[in-house]
Order: sequence, then C-alpha cells, then structure tokens
Amino acid sequence: MMQAENKKSFLKKLALCFMLAFFISTGAAFAKFKVAFIYIGPPGDLGWTYEHDRGRKQALDALGAKIETKYIENVAEGTDSARVIERYARSGFNMIIATSFGYMDGMLKVAKKYPKVYFEHCSGYKTHDNMSTYFGRMYQPRYLSGMVAGKATKTNVIGYVAAFPIPEVVRGINAFTLGVKAVNPKAVVRVVWSNTWYSPTKEKEAAVALLNQGADVISQHQDTTEPQKAARDRGVVSIGYDTDMRPFVGDSVLVSPYWNWGQYYTKTIKDAMDGTWKKHQYWGGLKEGIVALSDFSSKVPKSVQKQIMMKHQQIVDGEWDVFWGPIKDQSGKVVINAGDKMQDGAMLGMSFFVEGVIGKVK
Amino acid sequence: MDTLTLTIGAILFSATSLIYATIGEILTERSGILNLGLEGLMMMGALSGFAVCYHTHSLFLSVIVALIVGALMSSIHAFLTITMKASQVVSGLSLTIFGVGLANFLGERLGPESNSFQLTGLEAPRFEQIAIPFLHEIPIIGPVFHQDLLTYIVYLLIPLSWFFVYKTKYGLELQAVGENPRTAEAMGINVIRLRYIYTIVGGMLVSLGGSHLTLSYMSGWNENKTDGRGWIVIALVIFAMWDPKKAILGALLFGGISALQLSLQAGGITFIPASFLDMLPYLATVLVLICLTIWEIVSKRKFGAPASLGVNFMREEK
Amino acid sequence: MRIVFEKRKSFSKKSLVIVPIVSFLISLILGTVLLLSLGVNPIETYYVMFSGAFATWIDFSDTLVKSIPLILAGTGIIVAFKMKFWNIGAEGQLIFGGIFASGAALFLPSVVPHIFVIPMAVITGMIGGALWAAIPALLKAYLKVDETLTTLMLNYVAIYFASFLYFGPWKEQGSGYRGTKEFDESAWLPILDGNLHIGIIFAVLAAILVWFLLAKTKWGFELNILGENQNNARYIGVNIPRKIVSAMFISGGLAGLAGTFEVLGVMHRLEDGLVMNYGYTAIIVAWMSQLNAIAAIFVAVLLAGLIVGGELVQMFVGLPAAVSDVLQGLILFPLLAGALFTEYKLKIIRK
Repeated sequence: MMQAENKKSFLKKLALCFMLAFFISTGAAFAKFKVAFIYIGPPGDLGWTYEHDRGRKQALDALGAKIETKYIENVAEGTDSARVIERYARSGFNMIIATSFGYMDGMLKVAKKYPKVYFEHCSGYKTHDNMSTYFGRMYQPRYLSGMVAGKATKTNVIGYVAAFPIPEVVRGINAFTLGVKAVNPKAVVRVVWSNTWYSPTKEKEAAVALLNQGADVISQHQDTTEPQKAARDRGVVSIGYDTDMRPFVGDSVLVSPYWNWGQYYTKTIKDAMDGTWKKHQYWGGLKEGIVALSDFSSKVPKSVQKQIMMKHQQIVDGEWDVFWGPIKDQSGKVVINAGDKMQDGAMLGMSFFVEGVIGKVK
Repeated sequence: MDTLTLTIGAILFSATSLIYATIGEILTERSGILNLGLEGLMMMGALSGFAVCYHTHSLFLSVIVALIVGALMSSIHAFLTITMKASQVVSGLSLTIFGVGLANFLGERLGPESNSFQLTGLEAPRFEQIAIPFLHEIPIIGPVFHQDLLTYIVYLLIPLSWFFVYKTKYGLELQAVGENPRTAEAMGINVIRLRYIYTIVGGMLVSLGGSHLTLSYMSGWNENKTDGRGWIVIALVIFAMWDPKKAILGALLFGGISALQLSLQAGGITFIPASFLDMLPYLATVLVLICLTIWEIVSKRKFGAPASLGVNFMREEK
Repeated sequence: MRIVFEKRKSFSKKSLVIVPIVSFLISLILGTVLLLSLGVNPIETYYVMFSGAFATWIDFSDTLVKSIPLILAGTGIIVAFKMKFWNIGAEGQLIFGGIFASGAALFLPSVVPHIFVIPMAVITGMIGGALWAAIPALLKAYLKVDETLTTLMLNYVAIYFASFLYFGPWKEQGSGYRGTKEFDESAWLPILDGNLHIGIIFAVLAAILVWFLLAKTKWGFELNILGENQNNARYIGVNIPRKIVSAMFISGGLAGLAGTFEVLGVMHRLEDGLVMNYGYTAIIVAWMSQLNAIAAIFVAVLLAGLIVGGELVQMFVGLPAAVSDVLQGLILFPLLAGALFTEYKLKIIRK
C-alpha cells in the first residue's frame, strides 16, 4: 500500500518538474516585453480609442519583435476594469496601459498588489511607485480650433456636443470658447450634454438639435463622427476631434485637434524595457507633440490659417497659453486676473464655464 | 425654417425605423410569438443594408438583402420557439446577443481591404429626401412631405397593416391564432404555419427598420449602431396596444420627447438636469399607458396582449 | 411518415443531464467552425475560455464574484415568473437597490456605530429594490397595466436616476469620475478571499430559501396556482392583487440585494459600472434553470463563467468583443433547442 502511494506521489512530483521546466523554458524563450491596453471603446470608433490604437501600432512598429501587445475593448469603467487589469498583471504582462479616466481607482488597487508591473493611466491623477499618469494638453489645439470656428460662423451661434460635465470636457469647451471669443466677441457657444461617450444616434440628434437652434458650426467632445456628419448633411461646417476627421466626413470639417499617443507609448515602453522608467505625471502639449492640430480644410481662408499658426507658434514657444488671464466666467466675474496663469491643479478640476458659453455645468 | 418645423421634421425622420419595427413586431406578437430579439434584428438589418450598399451602390439591392437577413434571423427564432418549443423569452434574448455580436463582428470583416476590412468610416449612397411640391412648404407640418422614400412607404404601411389586421380574412385568422390557437386549429387554421409566416414577416420589417438607420437616417456604420432602439420597440408595441395604426403614436411620443430634451438644452434652458430630461420619454410612456389602460377599462373595450402571447403551441396528436 | 413530438409521461431526469451535454457539444462544433474560419486556433480559444473561468481558485473566484448578482437577480425573477408576472425590470430594481444601499453607505458611517452600517445598508438596499418593483406590481394588480412595459421602462428611469445622483448631489467633488466617492471602509462587505466577498454565501442561502418558499410553503403553493390558472387561485381563496404585490416585493428585494452587494462588496461606490445588464442576463438564468432556484445557482455560475471566459478570449487570444457575443449565442441556441427534449419525446409515425 505504502509503496504504491510513494510511487504515485513520486510520479506526481516528476510530472510537476517536467511541467515547470517546460514553462520556464518556454517563458525564457519568449521573453518579450508584454504590454496590455485597456480600451473604453472599439478601435473602430474613429475617435478616442482609434487614436490610442494607432499609438499602440506605432509603438509596435518602432520597437518591433521585442514587444508583444494585446488589447481588450469596451471595458466598463469601475470595478470590471480592475478585474481585467488584474488578470493581465497576473498573467505575466509587464506593462498595462489604461486609456480612460474611470479606470483610475481600479488600476491603483492592482498596482499596489503587483509592484513589479508597470502601470500607465491616461487622463487621471492618482499615482504610485509603479503607476504613472499621462495626458495631453488638448485644450491648446482646442483653443486654436475655436479661433477657426469663430471666424467661420455667420450666425454667431456655434454648437458643441459634449459627453459628460467632467473637468476634462469642461476645460475643452472653455478653451474652445476662449478661442472663438478671441476672434469673434459676438459669437456664443451652445452646449448640449449627450450623457454618453459613444452613441451614434444620440450624438447625431444632439447635433441636429443645435443645428435647429441656428448653429452653423458644430464642434464636439465625443467618440464618433456623427455630429460632424449631421453638420455636413445640413450643409454646415464643423470642427473635428480626436483624429483628423476629413477622410471620414469630408471637407466640411475645417480642422481637427487630435492625439499623437504613439511617440509617448514608444518612449515609455522603451524606458520600462531599459529599466529607466520612473514614476511620472506627464502632461504634454503642442510643443511635445502629443496633441496636434490637423491640417486645415480647403474651406479655411489662408489668412485665417496664418493667424492660427502664429498663435500655435506662440504656445509652442511658451510665450502664451490658453488659461492665462484675464478670464471671466459665465456671470461676468473675473476668475483669472490679467497677468496670472491658471495652475495645472486648477485646470484639472475645472468646473465652471467661461463667458460666451450657453449651458450649465451640471 | 423655424426651429419648431425643423424639430418636427427631425422627429419624423427618426421615427421611421421605429415604426417599421413596431408594426413588424405587432404582427409577430399578434400571432402569439414574442420576439425579444429585436435589437439583434435591427443591428443585422442596419449592417447588411449598409454592407450591400457600400459594395454595390444599389439602394434597392440593399433593402432586399436587409429583408432577407431579417427573414433568416427571425426564422431561427421561429424554429426554436415554434418547432422546438423553447422559451420565447430566452430565445429572443439569445437572438439579440447573437445578432448584435454578429453585426459588430461582420462590421469588422465586410469592409474593403483598403480599410482593414472594416466598414467603419466609409460612406455609401443614401436615400434622398424627396420634397413633395407645395405641400412641403406648409408651416409646421411641412416636413411630413419632405422625407425619404422609406418614410413615405411607412406612411402607407400604417393604414395598410391596420386594414390587413382588422378588415381582412387573413387578419382575422391572425387574430384568432393569437387569441385562441386551439380553437383556430380546430377551425382548420394551420396555426404553426401562420406563426412561422408572421414571425418571419415581422422580422423582415424589423430588419428593414434597422436598415433605415444606415441607409437614410445616418450614413455609415459604427459598432452598436442601433444603440438600444430594438428594446424601445418592444415597449412601443405594447403602447400601441397591438394596433398597427397606433404604432406611430408611440414612436412620435418617444422621439418627440427625446428631441425635446435636446432642444431645450440647445436652446439654453438648463434648469432641468439632463438626466431627468433623458428619463422623460420612458416616464411618459408609462403614464400614457396607465391612462390608456384606465380608459379601456372604463369604456369596456378589449385590451391587452393576444391571449396566447408567449405560450408555446403544441399540436395535439390525433 | 411524420415526425411528431409526444409529451413525456414523466419528466425525464436522464434527459436533464444528457440534453445539456449534447447541446453543448453541438455548440462547440459550431463555435469551432466559426473560429477556424477566422484563422484562430479553436483549441487555444476554448482552453483560454474555460481554464480562465474555472481552472484555478483565483480564476474561479472571479467567476463566482460575477455570479452573485446573477444568482440573486435570477432568483428574484423566478419568484415573479412563477406567477407569470413578466418582470423584465430586474435591472432597474438592481440599480435602485444599489442606489439605496449607496445612500446608506454614504451617510450612515458618520451617524451610527460602524458595526451597524452593513446590516442597515443591506436592508436599505433591499427595500430600494422592493419599492421599485412595487410600482409596476401595484399598477398591474389594481389597474391591470401591462407589466412587461412598465418594468422595462422603469429600468431606463432607474439608470438615469442613478446617473443624476452621481453626477449631481452625490458626485465626488472635483473629480471627473462617473460615480460617488468611495465608501467608508465600514461599509465594505467582508472579503472571503481575493475579490470574493461574503455575498456569495448569502446569495446561495437566498436561493435555497426561495426554493423552499416556492416548493414547500402554502404561500409558494398559492403562487404556483396563481401562475397556472388565475381562476383556480381565486377559487382557493387567494387574494390575487395582494399576492402579486407581495411576490414582487420579494422579487424586487432580491434584485435590489444583487445591486446592494455589487455596490458594497465589489465597487465600494455607486458608479456607472453598476449598469452591466445583469438584470437581463438574470432572465436567461431564471429560464434556463426551469424556474428552480437551486438550479439557478449553478446556471448563474456557468453563465458568469461564459462571460468571464468571453472576456479572456479577447484579452489573450486577441479576438474582438463581437466574437465572444457570437460564441455566446452559439452556445445558447442549441441549449434552447435541446430543452425541448426534457419534456417531449421524438417519435416517428409511419402512416
């Protein structure tokens, strides 16, 4: 009896050793640096996630065979994301990149449990020794696009389809409106909240509602091209977002502020592979190239283009920035004095609208 | 054009897909079959219509294919529930999961190679808006006469389907099958055959409604294009009290309130939180249903679902 | 020659086991065809799917966590469906349970001794779900308003109401987060292991209790009769309107408990992520378990495993989300078709 048991347990141990050897050897042979991306939508959204995926592919091109990437799309913010992130961490991935604000707390929890894995969170503010945040100063090209809109409008009503009243979106609206007012003090920006990042029908209907109120330029902070298409169908121009929307909508998109994540991803992945990665809170702008303004459509007069590019240069050179005073809020009260500059912290928590915006931050 | 007229036009345009689907599901449910797979059907209709239109540039062909796809998909449901006697609720829900997944999946595969086989970001011919001379310029109701071909067809479909259900021999048979299939069978009506027919025809109309979204209302394909419309249709069928001529009321109410809340925001009226405005169409539907139900009780007319809705029919052995 | 289905004299227990297995094999075959056509290795895919959901304890506990709301909401739906009250509103009742529980979790810790927070929050959550279910129940019981529509519509109202709360009065200040602030730790459900909280124990208990209620008590007996034949129920003295409302209180309370556990045990806040369509998946759970609450436990775990597995297929095999949905449909269809054979026998009649 004892003999049989000993034999069984010996065989078990032998099998275990073989399995171990097998896995170690396969693991060693395929020691690629594994990076996982967590997406809030599908890469086919031609907007937010599309750009992140473009960045991922650029990193793959740049770093080639040394890395392996995987992604999962449509991950709900909140706790589901924590589970997904933890799975990747548990399965031997070396770096996990989460591309939406709502993944923040979930990622932080996992980061604390897996100190050897690198974590990157987009648009958030919580960090840890192995968790960094990164974002782009989208408000800079937004301001410039606002200038284009201000010059283009004839009815002086500009429509803005926005997802949720969170600081990031509010900041974008404000920057845009400041740009509009800088070239056209009489224009106003009407805001409609769609309550969704991604809903083709809702976004379209919101744009239509704005068009019906007399808007002749449509801008947006959403994840699809529907508002721009709705504008085009009405014979009206629009401002794109996330990506250059002209290939998908046409020349009616005057200009699009867009993201350039590829260079950031390549750098941070490489740093991690080289062992030089340090915790950081990256917020790059036009100068660093992580955000950019697309080429202009042929409908934008050359004189206007020149004016915009001059402002563009000012920002890049550090001579001026969007949230430098004087800035008034909707009630006319001065919130930033002339000569003062709004600090990053205040920008990240922005929850008021500037003068010229018609809508409520609820 | 003033805001009100434009808004009415927008509501009508948006309602077309809902009306097609509602009438389709009314026919299905009248025969006693509950089809909860509407979201999946509409997605597949939207996807197939657009895919065909992109590759062939023929709107006619696209509509035909959407109809065929609707027929195929709903025949799965019909087979499972009528022949295999499966639970209608679960079969419908499964059809939704499957249909939505399949549509999204095909949306990433049926595109041209130049676009990585994706269908997103592409454009295709659309149904044009056809303005009926003189009539379309009437203030307020003008937009009724300035819609696309599919919408004009649905204007005709409403009275036709009403007439069919209530005034023809076939419609009466349909009602009998839904109310009391045993008696109908005893009277010589082939319950099983009729249920198959109406489930499939209903599914075709639902799919057609879905195709309106990508061939006319919007252009192009995105993931989850229909975004929950299929579920609303289920409510609209009940709202219409299974009467085809009432199908338009619910669609207009729903579309109207949705458009209203966006209009209010766009117009700068912001004291109501957006979330409450979003709730309005659903609350309104419930309130109106309560009123209708009370009215029906008071006036002692028949109301309610076809008596055998959701109950599987078993042909007796002779 | 005709093919005919003949009702079995007695419920075939043997078929209860064989049918799911055969259906499952059929779906494996269908799925394999699909995967091969995609150029994907089906063995690798299925391995990832199943091992990831069930193989190790850590993986399985993830599945269990996801099954808790399915067990609770599914059980709640069973209670409603038994009397043929088509409660499609479990989603809304779940959300309202989450809302009430969140309210308690946000305000109680500063007012009552910490040891009371969780029990009070749980009860509050259940009340929230029950109240939300009471609305369509009252409307149907006393005004005969169709419940399919009211329950469905109220789901949307619940979703938007939750949205109003965590974007408005309950918003975490200064944050872009779509949710309330994280609850004080006194409102966190104790953890058994890893991410698995004690909710699993209560979920299983609740299912067993409901089974007992429906199968072994007078109240349950009356409910069954009501579902089978309203006239018979009236004949034996059942107060139908009151029965409908009390049953829906239980149904909604259970769904509310599902939302409560999600909010207190998993998310620790009220957030956007509560809306996960558990209420609709639970309908599938309820039906597939043939309205048997104990069976619902296992069905829920299986479905949860399917969902988690589908996620893993995306994460590690790289298939898009849509494929998981299609695979799920392919698994459900044969199961549905096969359910027929538990009640009916196939017979070929020669003329």
